[in-house]
Amino acid sequence: MPHKASRRKILIRAVTNSAIAATAFLMTSIGLHAVLPFPEIDGGVSQKFRFFAAHKDEFDTLFIGSSRIYFQISPAIFDRVTRESGLPTHSFNFGIGGMYLPESAYLLEQILNLKPRNLRWIFIEYDELQTKWSTENQTSRRALYWADWKRVSLLLRKLTDAGADPLWLPNPKKLRDIVLRQKGAKNTRGLLTFYVTQFERNYTNVSRAADVLDYFFRRDTRERRASYLGTASDGYVTRPGGMSPSQAATYDRGLAAAMAEAGTRPLSPYAVEAYRQCATEIRSIGATPIFLITPSTTQINIATESTGLAGVVMAFNNPRAYPSVYRSSVRRDGQHLTKSGAEEFTRIVAANFVELARTGEIK
Amino acid sequence: MSFVEFRFLWFFLLVFIVYWTMRNNTARKVWLLLCSYFFYAAWNWKFTFLVLGSTTADYIVGLMLRRSKSPASQRLWIAISVCVNLGVLGFFKYFNFFVSSASGFLTWLGLPASESTLNIILPVGISFYTFHSMSYTIDVYRGRQAATSNFVDLALFVSFFPPLVAGPIVRAVYFLPQLVWPKRFSNIDVRGAVMLFLAGFIKKACIADGVAPTVDRYFAHPADFTPTSAWIGVLFYAIQIYCDFSGYTDMAIAAARLLGYQLPNNFQFPYFARNVSDFWRRWHISLSSWLRDYLYIPLGGNRGSRGFAYRNVMITMLLGGLWHGAAWTFVIWGALHGVALLIHREWIRLTEGLKWAARAMRWLAWPITIYAVCVAWILFRAHNLSSAGTILKQFALFHGGGNQHFHRWLLLVVGALLFIHWLNSRRWFAESWRQWPAPVFAAAYGCTFAVVLLFVPPHYTPFIYFQF
Repeated sequence: MPHKASRRKILIRAVTNSAIAATAFLMTSIGLHAVLPFPEIDGGVSQKFRFFAAHKDEFDTLFIGSSRIYFQISPAIFDRVTRESGLPTHSFNFGIGGMYLPESAYLLEQILNLKPRNLRWIFIEYDELQTKWSTENQTSRRALYWADWKRVSLLLRKLTDAGADPLWLPNPKKLRDIVLRQKGAKNTRGLLTFYVTQFERNYTNVSRAADVLDYFFRRDTRERRASYLGTASDGYVTRPGGMSPSQAATYDRGLAAAMAEAGTRPLSPYAVEAYRQCATEIRSIGATPIFLITPSTTQINIATESTGLAGVVMAFNNPRAYPSVYRSSVRRDGQHLTKSGAEEFTRIVAANFVELARTGEIK
Repeated sequence: MSFVEFRFLWFFLLVFIVYWTMRNNTARKVWLLLCSYFFYAAWNWKFTFLVLGSTTADYIVGLMLRRSKSPASQRLWIAISVCVNLGVLGFFKYFNFFVSSASGFLTWLGLPASESTLNIILPVGISFYTFHSMSYTIDVYRGRQAATSNFVDLALFVSFFPPLVAGPIVRAVYFLPQLVWPKRFSNIDVRGAVMLFLAGFIKKACIADGVAPTVDRYFAHPADFTPTSAWIGVLFYAIQIYCDFSGYTDMAIAAARLLGYQLPNNFQFPYFARNVSDFWRRWHISLSSWLRDYLYIPLGGNRGSRGFAYRNVMITMLLGGLWHGAAWTFVIWGALHGVALLIHREWIRLTEGLKWAARAMRWLAWPITIYAVCVAWILFRAHNLSSAGTILKQFALFHGGGNQHFHRWLLLVVGALLFIHWLNSRRWFAESWRQWPAPVFAAAYGCTFAVVLLFVPPHYTPFIYFQF
């Protein structure tokens, strides 16, 4: 009996001490996560965030999204058109190369947490929730900083086909496919592991010591900032170049094929849920969300009807309605416009925005 | 699955909890065996059959050695074991190397040669578990170890997951007796083990992976860098390989200790060695002692003439180099160490009784040794011989016209790390934590681990010795 008693004592002591260590670890991690500065992220994320934080009350209009926003929306032109139309705005382009959902939703939340007092309209690029990360970018900090539970849970739901309802029940057929690496779910197991690991790494602050150093010894240069913020410090950067004749021919063929495709594809319920969350957060600070579909060949068939979103969807994915931004002469590739194309697109967006504001669809 | 990944934490927690919940020693061993195979299968399940095959072959050889009465048949069985083990190792690790080397040689002679190599995947840790397994049959043959009829014991010895993929190389005489008696949790030095794991984690995840990008950048295009940067690149590599490998060893020893098993020590502050012989008594001790006992001494060791002993040293070091990798850079690395060992022996012989030599060596022994070791590391890390030549010119002769450079303050990092290492060797880091009340220790440990993770770089660099 004494042996049994001492065994129990050892067990209780081991469990208690393990629980203490785990609690101390979690508390320290969460505490550090709360006090650490915004991480230093490549691609202009940090530069734009810092700039916006310093000038947050100067802007009333914000554009957020990928390179299709970054290099294609000129705040200067947008503001000029709105001013001339009697609805003056002061806008900022928060586009970042390669930033899609869920990263854009996370960054938007961080921007809103800054409590910008005068922000009235927020344009969010409208596209599918991305689950794939290229292998070479998986170890970058860019793939890590946004991995909170809100974002990761949506990704896990999408990967396991669990639906967007509050009750999370993975699809058994999908689970079987994942376990057996069936067609269509070959890489899903790896992605599930990747996102769970990113979540763990994010909340345990892996590699965040560098941010503390950067915070105190900011190594940012004026040239570096300008390269991301643009010459007018409005977040818009132009990219030179157009397409060669052969590239233009390939583009024209791709465009014709995309236009010939019958039917439309709605966004997944996970993307819609993410946008719904964004819209709620935007409305909570008194601003209006506007969802923006840019003119690119891969977005032509995105459905815009009955999205169920509490916000207007401004769609420019119809080449017949907006031929001027689909001509090969104004395009760099299927996704992006040239400088003149970007200026034309900005003018169209601004004109549409003014029109919708006048009709009361955008308040 | 690597020791520094989160999934290893969950894996080990499961192994640990189930293991200590079990009371039956056989059940525990079976559990550990299953977990070890699962651990290996996480990399590539197909190669678990290779581990199993190697184990089965040596199990049969062990039993046959016990049954055989005549020395001739015993010699036959041990030859079978050595051939099977080295055959598997040779095929998976050296086939392409030998074919391409032979083809290159024939081409050099002007003879037509077509190089046909297979697309062979190198099984992780094959060099380690092959040596584990071979130590068993050789020791049974020598009568130092009784052949076991318990397959689970032998299989667990070969595949025990902490040292499976990167050592330390465990011998049957060291490990098999540990499997006889059931372990008691109350005998485990949990504090010591978890602190050792933390130390290993810091070495690998913070230091080795922290300096890895600088090392990779330099060794990828050495000609682009200045000689000062070459020094930084090479010194950083010396730090990386030590922290990477000894970090793995620390974590392996700690994980094994938490399950009640002891693994041999593998490092004893090698960068404070005062000559190359001393270095090999402190670096990868389990390999150097394995090579000494199973290769150098059977070759004749120090017996016979000086030339004969020197031949044995060179053979041992060349094969030791080749053990690390199938490339000429590794062979030359081994040769350099062999030559350094011979120079040291000659120096000792020629300066015996000379006071000036002893006085000079008091100051020069350490810098000469560390310099020689770093020069050899260049061969170990360089992508090819021409790249190694470029680096050697920069490092040894300060010759080179590159224009890229690393910040010179990185040399201070080298100094700081060396200083911390020196303090550690002098036992300046108190073990006062052993006296703390258990809950205080647990809370401090949890907090410390959370802070340590801040310094882990975002990229994961695989353990260098996994490729061996």
